[in-house]
Amino acid sequence: MSQATHIRNFSIIAHIDHGKSTLADRVLELTHTVADRDMVEQVLDSMDIERERGITIKAQAVRVLYQADDGQTYQLNLIDTPGHVDFTYEVSRSLQACEGVLLVVDAAQGVEAQTVANAMMAMNAGLEIIPLINKIDLPAADPERVRHEIEEGLAIPADNAVLASGKTGEGVREALESVIALVPPPEGESDKPLKALIFDSYFDTYRGVVALVRVIDGRVSKGMKIRMMANNTVTDVEEVGVRRPANLPVESLEFGEVGYLITGLKDPALVKVGDTVTLAKHGATEPLPGYREVKPMVFTGLFPIDGDQYPDLRDALDRLQLNDPALIYEPESSHALGFGFRVGFLGLLHMEVVKERLEREFDLDLLATAPSVEYHVYTTAGEEVVVHSPQDMPEAGVIERVEEPYLRATVLVPPDYVGAVMELSESRRATFKDMQYLSATTVEMHYDIPLSELIMDFFDQLKSRTRGYASLDYEYIGYRTSKLVKLDILLAGKVVDALSFIVHRDKAYQRGRVLTEKLREIIPRQMFEVPIQAAIGGKVLARETVRAKRKDVLAKCYGGDITRKRKLLEKQKKGKKRMKNVGNVEVPQDAFMAILKVDE
Amino acid sequence: MRSWPSSRWMSSPGHTNPNPPGRPLTASLYVHVPFCVLKCAYCDFHSAPISDEPGMADHFAWAVGEGASHWAALGALDDVASIYIGGGTPTTLGPSLVSLVESVQRGARLVSDAEITVETNPDTTDPALAGRLIGSGVTRFSLGVQSFDDAVLRILGRCHTATSARRAVDALLDTGARVSVDLMCGIPGQTLDSWTASVEAALASGVGHVSVYPLTLEEGTPLAIAARVGEFDAPDDDLAADMMQAACELLGAGGLQRYEVASYARPGEESTHNSGYWTGRPYVGIGPSAASMLPAALFEAAIACEAWSDPGVAGVGKTLDSVPPGTSRVRFLRSADTTAFLRKPVGPPEEVEFLTPAQAAAEDAMLGLRLAEGITEELAERAGGTEILGTLEARGLVEHVAGRWRVTETGWLLGNEVFEAVWHAGTRRGLA
Repeated sequence: MSQATHIRNFSIIAHIDHGKSTLADRVLELTHTVADRDMVEQVLDSMDIERERGITIKAQAVRVLYQADDGQTYQLNLIDTPGHVDFTYEVSRSLQACEGVLLVVDAAQGVEAQTVANAMMAMNAGLEIIPLINKIDLPAADPERVRHEIEEGLAIPADNAVLASGKTGEGVREALESVIALVPPPEGESDKPLKALIFDSYFDTYRGVVALVRVIDGRVSKGMKIRMMANNTVTDVEEVGVRRPANLPVESLEFGEVGYLITGLKDPALVKVGDTVTLAKHGATEPLPGYREVKPMVFTGLFPIDGDQYPDLRDALDRLQLNDPALIYEPESSHALGFGFRVGFLGLLHMEVVKERLEREFDLDLLATAPSVEYHVYTTAGEEVVVHSPQDMPEAGVIERVEEPYLRATVLVPPDYVGAVMELSESRRATFKDMQYLSATTVEMHYDIPLSELIMDFFDQLKSRTRGYASLDYEYIGYRTSKLVKLDILLAGKVVDALSFIVHRDKAYQRGRVLTEKLREIIPRQMFEVPIQAAIGGKVLARETVRAKRKDVLAKCYGGDITRKRKLLEKQKKGKKRMKNVGNVEVPQDAFMAILKVDE
Repeated sequence: MRSWPSSRWMSSPGHTNPNPPGRPLTASLYVHVPFCVLKCAYCDFHSAPISDEPGMADHFAWAVGEGASHWAALGALDDVASIYIGGGTPTTLGPSLVSLVESVQRGARLVSDAEITVETNPDTTDPALAGRLIGSGVTRFSLGVQSFDDAVLRILGRCHTATSARRAVDALLDTGARVSVDLMCGIPGQTLDSWTASVEAALASGVGHVSVYPLTLEEGTPLAIAARVGEFDAPDDDLAADMMQAACELLGAGGLQRYEVASYARPGEESTHNSGYWTGRPYVGIGPSAASMLPAALFEAAIACEAWSDPGVAGVGKTLDSVPPGTSRVRFLRSADTTAFLRKPVGPPEEVEFLTPAQAAAEDAMLGLRLAEGITEELAERAGGTEILGTLEARGLVEHVAGRWRVTETGWLLGNEVFEAVWHAGTRRGLA
């Protein structure tokens, strides 16, 4: 084993909004990696949506050269990680590429759920953790309290925590000095066969798949024949390089270094995050540990409002998938909504981001059905059926049992709100596991909760019931049997498949009642009376009626301004176009999401 | 009257009467007076209190006269069927309104039985002024009563009471003119009883014309805000529908027949001016935010005027130099800026819409269906609406009687469904 003594590979991890990306920007500035004139806020968040929402979706890696106080120049590889629980696996892979992390904690907000989750992940990966208390310029900053929370709650010594402000740049140099002093240089063996970890990838229209890698052992250079170990794909290395942050080709990447690889591969499915790259011949025999297939957790139907846009939607999904291998989809047809796709996502944020990108970048008008999860249905005939859409649920008579995915949820909340969290969790079929005081001001609570309940507005409810104080993190723990039934919604006597959903039997009556009421408010009055029913099998649980529209006249036409009058009619028509014609009933988009907003 | 510098275009050479010789263009003339004593709680139209600058009312009357002369010189006013002075509240101009009415007629050739209507409100109706207006040619008054229930009037933010409304009706009828009363239903806080009482009061007052409008809550008006914050319940569509039906029955029994979706009249007292809007008759609008609709040739002649190409005029969005080929009629709107109008009574419009023959036909069909007599099969055909009318007939919204299409009792209440369907059927065809 030898050391690459002047290399430090580190990541910045934080709860959302604690200022991770701004800090990264300051690092780029301080090291003159990006000329001031090219400095766009949050350089590493390159997607528009990332910038707008202030979240990181894709991991990024950038090499900076830093002249330290000891007079020597170090190569620092900063690996920015996705900042959302949907992307936990990606975070874990990014951490595998590092030897240390800066754990950023907001000086006013203190330790939150993802701070804990990220710190745990870094600890499990055996990384050096340097606490950094950020935003010390805020009037509400309380670094001493936060220092205490880090020590008490996370058991991480924080005496030497860096005090910094991404906004003013204060403390950023100290942070880099701490990285050099505390994060160990990477270890590896230069004469062993190549082993490199793919921690992210993206698609370049001209170059194909670009893989971001950390070389663990050996070296990789242009012209080499390499193999992706998970799927045994052999290919040539067309280019290796480093990101500063633009791609800069280099001769080779040695052990300990971070950079990119371009191969001849055009199919992103062959270049998987977490996979190990080795030599095609005489390569490593064992891949790096920790690889797993990324599995979507949340599914929704996406339908073009205008049926003619179906081919455009398919093309758009194909294009997005190039940069987002976690996105999966298959055609789905609905009696109510026509042709569309059932699309699988890592989580709700991933879903929102994809839908927004489809509408914004590809100019599509989409209707999304309420998200669902993957149910495992075991039939009396002994078969297992995987159900991604309520439509595919087998007849109740042939179902032996149904299993649904469960999560272990971690909620951090001030003690005053423990009762509110308990109340919400109970209403969402969550099982309380344990709770502990992280400090006098923060309680950590653990629950096992069905994923299907969590995606139903749980986070918004949690936030509103705790006045925004609660933070949430979760991990997948496996499938459990539940008493689940399919609830159908009938409009004007006909089942609208896209409105069906799967619900716990004990909740079916109440959800059906609340949902029919909600739909009565959402569905505008039509030319005829529209009964709304909620039913299981043939049994009606709840019924509401949208009365027929009786009056629709425009008021006085002043002074012959018929243009204005016609514009009003056109506005009305446009509003209708945003609706979906289901049978004869015009249904606004909100209706398909109403189930998510059923506040009990 | 004070003298003002004459506008420059009058001296500019080279415009000819675009109307073909022989039969002059029959048109209507609309004057928008943008002043009100107080803005009502539901109103989102263009109006403001008249400024107390001395001479403002006279200045406005002069400016309207200048506008009328301009159009008269272009030949647009050679056969005027009706003049409507609306607003706002024209009677806020006081005695200057008499000179306004006189000056718009100067240069215009009116048909023998031309209708000249002045809009007024109970609080600005002065019997002496009304008498002088009759003397200057006014034949008809349209009185904004809205309700004969003081509680409802307060909700609407009107300045008058039921008693002053009755007094105003009497005073106007005493002049010998025809009088129309506006009533509004579907008002938050208004009951069916209050409504029928108002309709009966209108009938009892002896007027020969009543207009009935359901209130539309316009965004941003005090009434809409009050409804949103829960001060009132939003108007109930079912109740409004009941009210409209009650009005139809009561007024019909009282001898006032519905001749248009919102208008009821004793036979012979139908409004010539409003009927013009529904039958495609061209109209000239004068005043801030006034709309005009003219045949393409006449609009082209207006473009050629120096006053229209003056870049110094407020409200010029773009330079107009020609009418797109294939245009049959043009609708255009003057800027709502009263100061700009006063400075420059003749000037280019702020918004212009060019309509093809197909669009014009679709519009005529759509608007014609507001009338009880409906539209001819020929117009329906020309507007590309025969098929959609068949569909609407199956839904019970229109009927086909004696070679004409007209709306049914249900269709009256769901007018937008009919109008929108006919307009879109016609314009889709126009685009194809």
